[in-house]
Amino acid sequence: MSPRDDGLPEDPQDMKLMIHALVDGELDAAAALAVERRIAAEPELAAEHARLVALQTAVASLPRPAVSDDFLARIAAIAETRKTDEAEAAQAEAVKVEPFAQPPQRQGEVIEMRPRASARRFGSFDWRQMAASIVLTAFLASGATQWLTTADNGSDSFAVAIANGHRRSLLAATPVDIVSSDRHTVKPWLDGRIGVSPPAPDMAKDGYALLGGRVEVIGDRPMPALVYRHHEHLISLVAAPQQSGAKSVPVAADLEAGGFLLVHWTDGAFSYWAISDAERPALDDFVARFRAAVIANPAAGSPG
Amino acid sequence: MSEKILAARFAEVVLPHLGDALSLARWLTGNPADAEDVVQEACLKAHAGIAGFAGGNARAWLLTIVRNASYTWMARNRPRSVVSVGDLADLDDVSPPPDNDADSPEAALIAKANSAAVEAAIAKLPQPFRETLVLRDINGLSYREIAAMLGVPQGTVMSRLARARGLLMADIGGRHEPA
Repeated sequence: MSPRDDGLPEDPQDMKLMIHALVDGELDAAAALAVERRIAAEPELAAEHARLVALQTAVASLPRPAVSDDFLARIAAIAETRKTDEAEAAQAEAVKVEPFAQPPQRQGEVIEMRPRASARRFGSFDWRQMAASIVLTAFLASGATQWLTTADNGSDSFAVAIANGHRRSLLAATPVDIVSSDRHTVKPWLDGRIGVSPPAPDMAKDGYALLGGRVEVIGDRPMPALVYRHHEHLISLVAAPQQSGAKSVPVAADLEAGGFLLVHWTDGAFSYWAISDAERPALDDFVARFRAAVIANPAAGSPG
Repeated sequence: MSEKILAARFAEVVLPHLGDALSLARWLTGNPADAEDVVQEACLKAHAGIAGFAGGNARAWLLTIVRNASYTWMARNRPRSVVSVGDLADLDDVSPPPDNDADSPEAALIAKANSAAVEAAIAKLPQPFRETLVLRDINGLSYREIAAMLGVPQGTVMSRLARARGLLMADIGGRHEPA
């Protein structure tokens, strides 16, 4: 199979998974289009697709158990006749599924949607994010070598690199590699990619929604970056793991790079750079709230 | 929350999905009659936990309870048939079924397969594969929802689904007389 530029996996097994994802409506429009083109071009893939569609149709047309009126009435009666003590007895077992009742995000949209109607609802899925991250990393690494030697002796080149990363993220299709407002998703993702993840407090109630994370390469080091949104502005927060022996740096708010405002400080195990095109007061407010949130809940922020 | 509000919530959250609940329980227990018992137990638990249901996908929430109830029920009533659900890593190493020759009109054969053949093929699947296939192709949950329910990564959901379907296609599509 010759290499293509459609971004799809070359491995036949992985390509099959893409066809499954297409049939299941789990691909976004761009990926679905790319897979459909491949299918049109390759008879073997077309045959696999046809088999899958036939199988899904066969499975979907299986007779479903009928909900008899009698059964429905029995279940409906539960809500009317349950005694509190019985409910409490059952509570213990029900509790263990309750985490599902606080879904990470956006599950409200799924209510009542049938499978095929939900097609293309989710954004990119993992392989695309992975590909994006790899491409971004390679791109940054190649562009970053020219000042690699100066990266250590001052925060200016560092600040410029962070500004460039932030600008690129604004130009990219999505400013994040992993889309999630849930730190329990973002942190493991960063851990898995680069073995380190900064505190990622949820500050949506303060007006700073966590959009997700991405990997920045500054100098020769990959670093975790969190992306928050404040009204129309994005705030990138790059967290550099502290070198041992590095001094703690108080907030320095007078940095500016590439037309963006920068705030730099050091807390605990990380050195932070917050960068945004937001107004200065908003950025300062973000920094203050972030630091407060990390101090209030250090468990959310243990490095790595 | 008052009893009245809880009852209304139960009617809204649980009752519309009884068909899905029965169908999942039927595939997990392998028996339509047992499915009603399991779903009834699940609904008791759902009612007890309804105050903690914070919104979101009601169907996925109920099916999670049904799944738990199914395994609890089987452990109690049919301990011998229960597959350990905690130790599935080895199953993910099962190699995919060999490709049949791509030229055979398998799609047509699969499409023509009768319900009994399809049901038998599903019933023969190893439990984790069957569970994943049923949640996706019968209950219509998304990869993400299935991953959350089973506590496995989405990639595992995808590979189990692909293998389940591969086994089904080989079974159903391979039933034709050799030419």
